[in-house]
Amino acid sequence: MKLAFILICLTAAVGFLKAQQPVVSPVESLSAVKPATDGKVWGALVYATNDIKGLSGSTEVAPADFADIPRRLGKVFPYQRFEILGQHLQDVFREYESWVVPTKDLFLKVDSKGPADGGGMNLHLQFWRDQQVLVKTDAVLKEGSPLFIGGPKWREGRLLFVLVLQNSR
Amino acid sequence: MKTPSEDHDLIRFLDGEMSNTERASFEARMAADSMLNSEVNMMQRMSADLRTHLPAEMPVPYADFFNSQIQVRIAQEVPVTLPAARSLWFDWLRIPTLATAAAAVAIGGFMIVQNQNQPAGNSIVHSIYVPNPSVQARSFHSDEAQAMVLILDGVEAMPSDRQMVSFHIQRTETDQEMATTTLFDVSGQVVAVVAKDSRNQPRLLSATPRG
Repeated sequence: MKLAFILICLTAAVGFLKAQQPVVSPVESLSAVKPATDGKVWGALVYATNDIKGLSGSTEVAPADFADIPRRLGKVFPYQRFEILGQHLQDVFREYESWVVPTKDLFLKVDSKGPADGGGMNLHLQFWRDQQVLVKTDAVLKEGSPLFIGGPKWREGRLLFVLVLQNSR
Repeated sequence: MKTPSEDHDLIRFLDGEMSNTERASFEARMAADSMLNSEVNMMQRMSADLRTHLPAEMPVPYADFFNSQIQVRIAQEVPVTLPAARSLWFDWLRIPTLATAAAAVAIGGFMIVQNQNQPAGNSIVHSIYVPNPSVQARSFHSDEAQAMVLILDGVEAMPSDRQMVSFHIQRTETDQEMATTTLFDVSGQVVAVVAKDSRNQPRLLSATPRG
């Protein structure tokens, strides 16, 4: 019953949108326009472990603004080593989805829901592992207050995803 | 009439939220049930049609709005369909001391987090949706780390011999018509492209894996 109602609504929406579809000039294609953005985020996938010999050998280093992230991770997760495997600096598009992809294996989809009261951004986040979404969350991300996601275990440790709102100044 | 749990399976399949085992099982059901197969095909066509014709200026609150609303409705039915143990996350809403601490647990379902006492400068998690019933998500704010923490327990471990394909992405370009995002590294080289398949699931094509 519920699904039938949803289908009816979707059918009506498709018909309406087709009727309302504007004529777009070929020279004004959307892809030629740089999308508006709401801010910028830095994301990283971190391998947390106590096994020094098991480190991957990654040479990735956090940008100076986020150099204290490994120390802060140590306040939450019971590991001694925090190795950045990959990192990604990404504009958050206002009307389109954004992807934060520090690795091919674990990555984040980010949808902006606009500025938050008192600063920061309202975001809808999806944490993906290959073709499987692990968690969806609505969050407010503030400058100086990162989001740490404790993900799957790997080898002798755990994979952590870090998302930080870049300072707007 | 289908039960809510069958609707849930269908939506999880369309949203790419099933594990490989669940997906194979659901596809086997589709093969054996022509009505289910037709329904899935129709939903996929309509979803693709909507994406094709949705104008950029459409005031949708955010890209996953429709899915989220459907999931909220499904979550409202969860206590009736899930085993008793899974209703624990509803109990958290009824414990004021834990709710005001902005700590929350979701076990294979949807959870709204109360955040009344959070300082203005803290990041906040408003809601959590975990599609896999075997995964437990919990969120809390760490004052010591000055960070919001979302922990996923019960996620299948990555194989130890799996080599992470890592990137250092400095710039991206999006093509709304093709629904693709091209990822560039610090030297300006294309290292990967994110696209979507017919079920709106991401497909990540890497050009220069670094291992």
